[in-house]
Amino acid sequence: MTATIDEDRLSETFAALANSTRRAILARLAEGGATVNELAEPFEMTLPAISKHIKVLERAGLVVRGQRAQYRPCALDPAPLEEVSAWAERYRPVWEARFDRMDDYLKQIQATKGR
Amino acid sequence: MTDKGSADAVEIERIVDAPAALVWQMWTDPEHFKAWYGPDGATIPVAKMDVRVGGTRLVCMEVQTPNGPMRMWFTGEYREVVENERLIYTESISDENGHVPAPSDMGMPEGHPTTTEVRVELRDIGGRTKMVMTHVGIPHDSPGAAGWAMALGKLTAYIAAYSDR
Repeated sequence: MTATIDEDRLSETFAALANSTRRAILARLAEGGATVNELAEPFEMTLPAISKHIKVLERAGLVVRGQRAQYRPCALDPAPLEEVSAWAERYRPVWEARFDRMDDYLKQIQATKGR
Repeated sequence: MTDKGSADAVEIERIVDAPAALVWQMWTDPEHFKAWYGPDGATIPVAKMDVRVGGTRLVCMEVQTPNGPMRMWFTGEYREVVENERLIYTESISDENGHVPAPSDMGMPEGHPTTTEVRVELRDIGGRTKMVMTHVGIPHDSPGAAGWAMALGKLTAYIAAYSDR
């Protein structure tokens, strides 16, 4: 997991994930690599439309494509998702520090109340 | 370790040495809230809280920078208010009037989560309070949230398997 988070890349990951077709494609790829034709199968969409979604996922770094000339199978790259997870995690130290201050403050006011 | 890991949320559990009614006030009484919420070296000059379902909140955080004080504003709405037990509110970056800019205005693509959700659950345990705070990156009732949760769940499992390789 990276220590610093690339904000632009994170935005791109979130934008790429904010679409149900693209999430379905990722879920399919989580089970294994597939060609564009295979990925298009469950959708009532044209191949160019599916290709467009795959390009978005590729730009976000979520999908990598093989170099084999005709088929260029797609595979999932989970690295950007690890950054999504890190995004949530970086709030943890912020909250921990806040709650430490809440503890101190509570001690203070409960002491002055002379409970 | 009592903290549950999830792809889109931070959960922290604490035992607070105060009765639940007082811990509730820490979150809902602006004067108390101001005393602990800001990071070290920062102040909370404004905390407006209309603590009822649908009520709004507006919080200002002021930090000192070499160029003078800098103010950041956050707004949100209360989603659940059960006194001394359960508080849920949303949070978004805003201006001083509580206006939330569109993601594109902040240079972010559509779909970037600009609203987060904070959930606080309190349980009295004999004069002390068990406090569970969950900060969720993607509010669960937002459009597509179910899809998100499902996709992230599957993908997190995949990441775990992938990391083991």
